[in-house]
Amino acid sequence: MKNIIHMENVCKSFGKLEVLKDINFSVNAGEVVCVIGPSGSGKTTLIRCLNHLERITSGKVFIDDELVDELIDGKDQLKVSPQKVSEICTRLGMVFQRFNLFPHMTVLQNVMSGPLIVKKTPKEEALAYAMELLAKVGLEDKKDEYPSRLSGGQQQRVAIARALAMKPEIMLFDEPTSALDPELVGEVLEVMKTLAKEGMTMIVVTHEMGFAKEVGSRVVFMDKGEIIEEGLPNDIFSAPKHERTQSFLNKIL
Amino acid sequence: MEETINRLVKIFLETMSGVGATLSVAMDKLVKIFPAMMSGVGVTLSVAVVALVIGLIFGLILALGRLSKNWVLDKLSFIYIFIFRGTPLMLQLFFIYYALPSISLSFGYQLSLDKLPAAFIAFSLNSAAYLAEIIRAGIQSIDKGQMEASKALGMSYSQAMRKVIIPQSYRRLIPPVGNEFIMLLKDTALVSTIALFDLMRVVSNQVNSSASTFLFLPAAIMYLLLTSIFTFIFEKLEKKYSVYE
Repeated sequence: MKNIIHMENVCKSFGKLEVLKDINFSVNAGEVVCVIGPSGSGKTTLIRCLNHLERITSGKVFIDDELVDELIDGKDQLKVSPQKVSEICTRLGMVFQRFNLFPHMTVLQNVMSGPLIVKKTPKEEALAYAMELLAKVGLEDKKDEYPSRLSGGQQQRVAIARALAMKPEIMLFDEPTSALDPELVGEVLEVMKTLAKEGMTMIVVTHEMGFAKEVGSRVVFMDKGEIIEEGLPNDIFSAPKHERTQSFLNKIL
Repeated sequence: MEETINRLVKIFLETMSGVGATLSVAMDKLVKIFPAMMSGVGVTLSVAVVALVIGLIFGLILALGRLSKNWVLDKLSFIYIFIFRGTPLMLQLFFIYYALPSISLSFGYQLSLDKLPAAFIAFSLNSAAYLAEIIRAGIQSIDKGQMEASKALGMSYSQAMRKVIIPQSYRRLIPPVGNEFIMLLKDTALVSTIALFDLMRVVSNQVNSSASTFLFLPAAIMYLLLTSIFTFIFEKLEKKYSVYE
């Protein structure tokens, strides 16, 4: 099976605070990996290190077996050109907790922004694909609205469409439903389930245990910057091996 | 009794005709200097508008310098702003108009400027320093998530700045830039110190030569009219750029 993400001995510190401690982590094509754990456990930092939103402190990061980050004790060892790195990173789509839609662009312009600005896709082609994606997330009728006119759930669905417009190999979700009102969570999870069913490779940092159980092909439990335990959702949720996993699941379930 | 009333009426009529005569003399004076005042308004406006336009372009470059990770660009911009914000505009104007010719002469050739270009340059350089700080604050006030989302889509720093960050800062920049422009418009009165005939100089010359101090009043009204027009324009611009909010 094709390996898409591979992290080797990754450490990340913010000053003296160690956020990731010697992480080894891989994702293969077609997997839906749900990362769970208490807040401050390093889940979000883990996926932000994949697309260079954060540089790691030491270790190696590979995407499609190509090295995209390498540091030893905070010293940059990366020989790959920044252009090459950012080209590889566009294979990763990202959805943020707080949507981060571009407020000065309409829904349609948001979805077309990546292809038009980064890939220089011809306008008609970008438009056709954007409309296809908006139909997929159920928001074609909102194409000319500005994001401020949409509900949180709608904004997040637009954000998913915007990330998909770059035709990524893998989608990274950073707590995509944490900023939403409870009644809006379902519509976003539905879109994510559809993606998973279509075979999209996904890493989902989430507090939605129901989603992890139902859609996840693997669950990773993190605590204090370490991967404590990983396995099939059923195994993790019904028979966690590690005591920290048990106490976390007891608290939230 | 009747005689008293008659006398009062007579005094009243005489006073009124005096006021009328004064007014008509004043009107005559005003009408006479009106063309000069209008050309003064032209000078005032041209200095303010040139300083705004060049100041915005140069100010944006300085602001990007201040925000740059490049240490040299940051420090150069910082020093520029430090100098031009930290010294009086009048001194800068005098330096460019009076001191530059003799300084350049000691370097071998004489660089002397006419009054109007000297005013354009001094006001542009000065307003760039103020506008740079306004623009920097405007750019920094944009949510960090916008740059992250742009990067996650694969945009370079300059693409993200041009397409995402700077366009969003426009609306926030309009009120402080409008404020800066109004200040500029009034500060242009300083050009009268290098004998450039702006609105202020035209009027104060006339006041000095004919002792008609009342002419300050129409000058004030003219300034108010100008600031009102531009306040209106900036309000319209602000509305235009807030459609998405």
